[in-house]
Amino acid sequence: MKGTVTVARKEMRQVVGTKSAVLVALFFAVWFGGLGGPAVAVIGSEAAESTLDTGVFYMGLVIGIFVAYLLSGQVFLREKQEGIIATLLVTPLSLREIWLGKVIGVAVPAYAIALAGVGVLVGVANIPAEALLLPSPPVIVHLVVAVPLFIASAVGLLGFIQFLFGLRENQILNIVIFAGLFFLLFSMQAVFETGIAVTWVQVGATVLAGAVLLGVTNLAAGFLSKEKIVRTIP
Amino acid sequence: MAVIAVENLAKSFNGSPVIEDISFQVSGGEVFGFLGPNGAGKTTTIRIVLGLLQPTAGTARVMGSDLGRNDALRRSVGVLLENNGLYGRLSAYDNLRYYADIYRVADPDTRIRDLLDLVDLTEFAESPIGNFSVGMQRKMGLARAIIHDPAILFLDEPTSGLDPEAQRLVRDLILDLSREKNRTVFLNSHNLDEVQRICTNVAILQQGRIRAYDSVEHLRASEQTPVYLLTLADPAAAERACTLVRGVEGVGSCSVDGDVVTVSLDGAAAPRMLRELVRAGVDLIEARRVTRSLEDVYLDVVHRSGGEV
Repeated sequence: MKGTVTVARKEMRQVVGTKSAVLVALFFAVWFGGLGGPAVAVIGSEAAESTLDTGVFYMGLVIGIFVAYLLSGQVFLREKQEGIIATLLVTPLSLREIWLGKVIGVAVPAYAIALAGVGVLVGVANIPAEALLLPSPPVIVHLVVAVPLFIASAVGLLGFIQFLFGLRENQILNIVIFAGLFFLLFSMQAVFETGIAVTWVQVGATVLAGAVLLGVTNLAAGFLSKEKIVRTIP
Repeated sequence: MAVIAVENLAKSFNGSPVIEDISFQVSGGEVFGFLGPNGAGKTTTIRIVLGLLQPTAGTARVMGSDLGRNDALRRSVGVLLENNGLYGRLSAYDNLRYYADIYRVADPDTRIRDLLDLVDLTEFAESPIGNFSVGMQRKMGLARAIIHDPAILFLDEPTSGLDPEAQRLVRDLILDLSREKNRTVFLNSHNLDEVQRICTNVAILQQGRIRAYDSVEHLRASEQTPVYLLTLADPAAAERACTLVRGVEGVGSCSVDGDVVTVSLDGAAAPRMLRELVRAGVDLIEARRVTRSLEDVYLDVVHRSGGEV
């Protein structure tokens, strides 16, 4: 556990210190949050609270996963490309400690940036509002529990993929993932238009799905081996 | 017990053998040189010993254990691979602190300060490694590898990119670790002069197999017809000296280059040859037995096994 904390602390420091990556992630989070705000305000004029809930529910997840995607490359793929991972693998740290430390090290700043994006969304949605609009309690629980679970799962899976495959496969997968996430972000408008109120059942199901996904990610990490990683170092 | 014991090691990638039947042992306190041209299989062997790859056959044990499966044992091992294992965006101090934390070094600040002082980089403690020259990064890599004062040190081209002064510093450090602290050093290097100076035993790898494995001294002495260089007081006497020497039993060949006569002969013939020259009134300034360098041995071995150097 101590090894995991050591890795996580260093990764967090490095992610936060990589200003270009953090600024790009912040830009996208604020941009999509900012775009979502007016949509909520316009569409939600009659059912403002449920529209805001839908927006925050959806945006929190997608922005979080998108930011996780942007930051994970700095931690997993870059370390592999530069060959540093081989040195780390001959330290007393186990492969799982390294992987888990990196997941935490990326997930924490990614979550903070996602919350900033959601904050912008809520702020912009409130500009034309007559009364203060805030997410409902189920959505807050969703933000506090489900979003971090999904972000951690996304980072874990991305890390797994980046460690497992070679550079070329990772480049192809990057394009596919980036396109998919961009499509999800731009499909926000259609989601907002539904204006469906977020219920405790939906939130519970999302938390459960996040937990299952995290479990699957954890299982997947068990398939990683030092040999698989070392043999795909470019 | 050998600190590093490799027995009948083999590794294939997609059915193609990369190394075959590799066996060697490294004793405690020894500096062991692992040599071979690029593509000979050195990196694969080192990676197996370090537990980064699984062998197709054979075993590689460090202190009797598989390093890849023994997390605690890796605490006793320091490694400097081709990559320095450092993070370009982090400062020299932060890089060393990270590894000090991983190895749970007691009093890390003092240790980091001592190491930065040792590699002469104290004034760059707060500078990002990415701004360092190749040589400075290599020195930092070495400091990182020994941050936890390991009992066994694996060094892959430790002096690559270093200026002569820094190369000497690294050589002295390795010798100090071996002789004063009884640390075991496994050294992979293309710098054969460096290997000759600091290694006790070497293995020469070529095309996935060990082609020579012995002490540096034995390798340099073995399979060699002794060669003597005779420097004469009078260069004009060189041809006469050669004619005299050729008549001595056990002398193979003799050639003249200016005032130097080169004679190859079996070891027992040397005193006879010198007696004959003195008896014939040839004035000698110097008679010196030429020893093959490790580089000569290496080139012989590699050429003999049909490889490119």
